Amino acid sequence: MTRYRYPSIPEAQVTPRELFESRRRFLNTGLALGAAAIAPGLLWPRSSYAWQGALEARIDSELPSHDLAGGEAPTSLRDITTYNNFYELGTGKRDPEIYGHQLVTDPWSLTIDGEVDKAGTFALEDVLRHQELEERIYRLRCVEAWSKVVPWIGFPLAKLLERHEPTSRARYVVFESIHDPDSLRGQRRSVLDWPYREVLRIDEAMHPLTLLAVGLYGEILPNQSGAPIRLVVPWKYGFKSIKSIIRISLVEERLPSSWEERNPEEYGFYANVNPQVDHPRWSQARERRIGESGRRETLMFNGYAEEVAHLYAGMDLQRHY
Amino acid sequence: MNQCAAIDAFRLLVLVACSAPAAWLGWQWFFGDLGAVPGEAVVHVTGKTGQVLLLTTIAFSPAFRFTGWVGLMATRRQIGLWTFFWLVAHMLAWMGLDQYWDWPWIRREMVELPYIRYGVAALLLLVPLAITSFARVRQAMGWTAWHWLHRLVYVSAALGVAHYWILTRADYLLPSLFAAVLAALVLFRLIDAAIHRQ
Repeated sequence: MTRYRYPSIPEAQVTPRELFESRRRFLNTGLALGAAAIAPGLLWPRSSYAWQGALEARIDSELPSHDLAGGEAPTSLRDITTYNNFYELGTGKRDPEIYGHQLVTDPWSLTIDGEVDKAGTFALEDVLRHQELEERIYRLRCVEAWSKVVPWIGFPLAKLLERHEPTSRARYVVFESIHDPDSLRGQRRSVLDWPYREVLRIDEAMHPLTLLAVGLYGEILPNQSGAPIRLVVPWKYGFKSIKSIIRISLVEERLPSSWEERNPEEYGFYANVNPQVDHPRWSQARERRIGESGRRETLMFNGYAEEVAHLYAGMDLQRHY
Repeated sequence: MNQCAAIDAFRLLVLVACSAPAAWLGWQWFFGDLGAVPGEAVVHVTGKTGQVLLLTTIAFSPAFRFTGWVGLMATRRQIGLWTFFWLVAHMLAWMGLDQYWDWPWIRREMVELPYIRYGVAALLLLVPLAITSFARVRQAMGWTAWHWLHRLVYVSAALGVAHYWILTRADYLLPSLFAAVLAALVLFRLIDAAIHRQ
């Protein structure tokens, strides 16, 4: 963890004017909305808008911003929110946008259990209250060979885990998404074995690049992007960055992730972005950056090799894909 | 309606039905409604249209068996050529809008990736069928030879289903549907042949 350094921010990465102004606009119109949002929260605690109002106000204040995508321009908000894989809402790329309303995010609570000294179920607002938010611009590389650059808002997962004091037996971190087939159309079909599950090694989970995101592009996370809280592991294929998390368990024994369980030959436990290890059915050497024409070369560990390669020192990455 | 007018009307229906996806694609492309990756949308629409039309073309013959209506046989070449058009468009869309005419990569993917190999094979098998679709060529070939050659359409359809099946990540609904329809058509062919041999 000592190897991690925040890069200095070039002038070009200062929040764009229109984004800044949209925040001002958001703030002005948001004040009235915010008041309206908080009122029911006061009357019926932890019912509707329990966390949204507070989070909106915090996102609207100036957050520190860190460009960790090497100065590459962020993908447009429209492209980020209309081309998604979120099978809980359907397998089409536009399904998550079209059916996003089926995901009810407020109220929301997060269970943290297993090998921790402070286990429990916490309202999302209580989880967020203790965390300092920041903007981080990351590359996102999907296993399907497309990529985006996303300005996330969130906080390091390590900060959350530290608060709950993992025991010495905590070797893996298991994440679970919402399971609600009554509302989520995609979960009525057994495309995957629901609920969606992802697993990280504890050192991967504690790495300072590993983020829990609650917003993007200066706003609360849209439902199709995994609202209200999702994981972002920028050096791994996108499917590792589990969406709409309801539970984080620290465990001693490794469990398979959902895609690994579905097809272990194609989706390994590590799923580190690696242009030298092809998916059995397609090449991973290149990627399509959404919003660009042509193809780019895929970068080792998605361009985060300097920060994360040491986690896998001595491992045969052809075998531990 | 007399027989000829009915056939003409059906011919027009085939024309409209087979060109409608092109009009829809053009419209969506023009207004930027094909999503974040329009090239991918074009590849998917052309491929699915081609596969549906290929199965429909094969279904014309059993439909004729059941109904006895000659209009189906009269329009079979028309719909067959539309199928070929859509599948050629599919391959060109993949080369241009997905691979951006990067020939070394196109060649590499054709050699290395099974689903591309199956797709290319499926299309290549349709080339002799398109060439021999002219009435004059068919007459020169003789009915039996032509008939045998055109059974390649089943092989091509099977390769097409395999192509779609193995590129699918998790949702096998549509590939399964295509496979089931093709299986039913092949089964009909076999039963029909067995009955006629007796």
